[in-house]
Order: sequence, then C-alpha cells, then structure tokens
Amino acid sequence: MNHSTQNIRQRTFLLSVLVRRNIKNQYYRSVIGVLWTVLNPLLNMLVMTFVFSMLFGREGIDLDYSIYILSGNIIFGIMRSSTSGSLPCLVNQRDMLQKTKVSIELFPTANTLSSLVTFGFSFIALLIVMVFRRIAGEYFFCWEIVLVITILPALTIFSLGISYFLSTLYVFFRDIKHIYSVILTLWTYLTPLFYSVSRLQKPIVEKFMVFNPMYHYVTMFRDMLAGNIPSATQYLICYGFAALSLTIGWLFLRAVKNKIAAQL
Amino acid sequence: MDETNMNTQTNIPQTSSSTENELKTENEILISVSDVSMKFTKYEVGVNALKELVVRAFKRNLKRKKFECLKKIDFTIHKGEAVALIGRNGAGKSTLLKIVSGILRPTTGTVVCNGRITPLLKLGAGFDGNATGIENIYLNAAILGYTKKQIDEKIPAILEFAELGDFIYAPIKTYSSGMMARLGFSIAVNMPSEILLIDEILAVGDIAFTKKCHKKLDELRAQGLTFLIVSHSESVKRYCKRAIWLEKGLVKEDGDINEVFSHYTAEMTK
Repeated sequence: MNHSTQNIRQRTFLLSVLVRRNIKNQYYRSVIGVLWTVLNPLLNMLVMTFVFSMLFGREGIDLDYSIYILSGNIIFGIMRSSTSGSLPCLVNQRDMLQKTKVSIELFPTANTLSSLVTFGFSFIALLIVMVFRRIAGEYFFCWEIVLVITILPALTIFSLGISYFLSTLYVFFRDIKHIYSVILTLWTYLTPLFYSVSRLQKPIVEKFMVFNPMYHYVTMFRDMLAGNIPSATQYLICYGFAALSLTIGWLFLRAVKNKIAAQL
Repeated sequence: MDETNMNTQTNIPQTSSSTENELKTENEILISVSDVSMKFTKYEVGVNALKELVVRAFKRNLKRKKFECLKKIDFTIHKGEAVALIGRNGAGKSTLLKIVSGILRPTTGTVVCNGRITPLLKLGAGFDGNATGIENIYLNAAILGYTKKQIDEKIPAILEFAELGDFIYAPIKTYSSGMMARLGFSIAVNMPSEILLIDEILAVGDIAFTKKCHKKLDELRAQGLTFLIVSHSESVKRYCKRAIWLEKGLVKEDGDINEVFSHYTAEMTK
C-alpha cells in the first residue's frame, strides 16, 4: 500500500518534470519568453479575423467574430499541439528509452498536459480580446464561462488517446508523420473554426459533422462563452468520444509496448 | 591512500576477498536469468515504413528474417557478487544487460530481479541539452525512478562528485562530452541502488576521472552492491571474481574470472 502510493508520487513527479521541460523548451527560453504564449494566439487571431471576415459573412454566428475565431483555434489547439507533439516523442527519446527503464506512456501524457498548459496561456489571450470587445459593446461576459473547466478533461482525454496511438505507431512506421500532417490540415478545415456550419446551408455537411469529434468540443466551448449551458447529450457525446479514443489508444500501446525498445 | 582509509571505515578487506565473505553469509539470489532467448527482426532497409509494409503485402512477402541474438541463457547472480560479461562484439552482451534491466522483454524465458537496478548503459542517456545541469539531475534521476525527496537529499553528493563548479547552472549543450559523462556517472552512482549494470562506460573521461570512478565503484562494492559489468579489458578483475563468456548468443563459459579470461584471450588471439 505504502509502496504503491510512493510509486504514484514518483510518477507524478516525473510527469511534472517532463511537462515543465516541455513548456520551458517551447517558450521560456526565447527572448520574450512566456509572453509569447499569449501573443502567439492573439497575432494568429488578428490575421485570421482580417482575412476571413472579408471572405465569409458573419450571420449565424452569435459570438463576436474575433472571439469566434480565437476560441475555435485555441480549443482545437489542445488537440493539434498534443497530438503533433506526441507523434515523434517516443522516437525522439530513443536514447533514453533504450538505455533506461521508464514507462513509455509518460511521454505522450506529458506532451498532452503541456498543451493544456499552453491552452491556459491562450485563454488569457482570449480574455483580453473579450475585454476589448466588451468595451466595444460587442460581447457580454457571463458566468457560464467557468463551465469551460468541465469540457477540458474530455478534450484532454480525447487528445491523450490519439497521442498514445500515434506516438507508438510512429515507432513502427516512420512515414506516419507525413500522413498525419495532411490529416491534421484536413481536420482543421473540416472543423468550423472560422466558418459556421449553419451558414453553409448544406444539410449533408451538418449530417456528417456530427461524426467529427472536434466539432462537438469546439461547439460546446463556444456555447459556454456565449452564455449557454450545454445539454446533457452534449456532455455525453464529448465524454463518449474521449472514452473511445483513450480506450483505443491505451489498448494499442499496451499491445505493442514490449516491442517498442527493440524497434527504436 | 583513500582506499585504505575507506577499508578501515567499512572494515572489509579488498574487494576480491569480500565477495567470498558475503557469499557465505548472504546467499540470496538477486538476479535469476532462466532460459532467456531473444530474437530480432532483420531489416534490409534501415527504417521501417508503412509504405514498405504495403509494398510487401502486395508482393506477399510479409515474413521478415529473424536472427536469434541470445539462445537459452541461464545464470543466477547472488547478492554481493560482481560478475563480468565478456565476449566478442555482437555476442549479445549489451542485449543481455538490457533484458536484465527490464528495458527489453525477452522473446522467451524469464528474468527475476530482487532489488533496485541502476542501468549504466550510456552515461547521460536522456539528458536534455537545453536544460541546465541541475535540471538534468532531477530529470535523469526521476527517470531512473527516484522521488523528489530522494533526489533533494543526494544533490550535494552528486554535485561534489561531478566537480562541475558553476557549469552546473549552464545548459547541458555547452558541456563537453567528458563533463556530460561525469554528471551522468555521478547521478547513477550516488542514488541508492542494489544492482549496478555497467556497459563499457568507464573508457570515457580523463585519467583522473576514471580513477575517481573506479574508486567510487570500489566503495560501492564494499557496501555490498551487486555488479554486472560488460567489458573487454582485464581491468574488471579489480571488481569481479566471476566471469560469463558469451559466444554467438550462448554461454560458452561461466566461472572464475582468471580462467575464463585466459581461455577467452587464447581464443581471440588464435
């Protein structure tokens, strides 16, 4: 009993060391450091708002357009950065995994948690934009924003499952990297990040959109920002996708775990 | 000079004879390797790729060549013993160490270890170049399986042994390979452990550091740590009384180090 609690504490410690290292390597060591985590999504949003507000109309979007774009991007960013960061993480740790005994699942987990931390910083950027839009009278703060915390575990678990799957698959097939970057681009455009599904007025799109897990996470996140309380069904869908993803990823990792060190 | 000092402190004579003493008193088996075989897949191309798999599937040529790296290896190591693992390049010594340390899972057979293992297969494996020396101590020791409290306690000893001075606060990428090895070795030998697996790492560093490493290892031997050392040089006789000679994945000889080494040298120079 005592032994297992120490074991858990040790793993948590190792995980925190790994997450801290990821975050540091990502931003802290650059010149403006942590400020960049906030600035990066802001600049992105400015560019996208500028470009897309000219292309698409804003009907059918009940949020301010700059908030709409930024919120979609940062919530999608959790999945994007954790999966694309996790993909090469086992292969990059080749040396370590071949020379020391360490549980491999900690590395994709650390990557996923780091992107959650990055999301935290991006959320500050979102709040800043919200304050500006409030001053302009385009947005009104509501208490439902705090509900955001209830969707994050689902998305994190969902990303974790994909991260487990991809990082192990990459050990065996090194060309997955190129394939996944194409898939990720496609996924970005298939998710309503800068357009709205209802405005496309294509029933077929709406029909197929329900199979896109990211659509549900993005929609739910925006609903909360707009002051709507999501329904139980929405929660069920989001956590259902999360459970499915984690199960597949975990089972795959378990199945090939013992072959990884020899394959690196 | 320091060695004699150490011996009086611990009250144990020179390492070689201490092995016998401990063997009589503590006959507990620490490592037990039974019937271990290891097969690897042979690759024609360096890296495996999905497209290769698809092409092979079309050619109906999915079977890959396998080669057996270890064949039914059997041995046990008792507590306090120091064993040298010798053999030609590619005889499977390093693979065997990886299997004993639990990094690789053998194709068949079992390995039972009753004690904490520190694998010293490569000094500084898993160091992060961007992080400072201190940060890497925590990273490396955490990966070896120690808690924050345990590391905090050992930090002074690690720093003292590594002798890196202010460089410890500089990123690892600015270190020379010798400095990196010092830090890696210092972490591994200062953290508490019962079994040390060493893979030809003592060839790095300058003479002074090598001497220091040997002294530290003597100290650990005197404390009763179990060693399993891969080596080509006879300098391991300093620690080991027993040697296992691996030849083409089989145990060719297992016994007194002087005998095994003389046979081995005779075979190699033939």
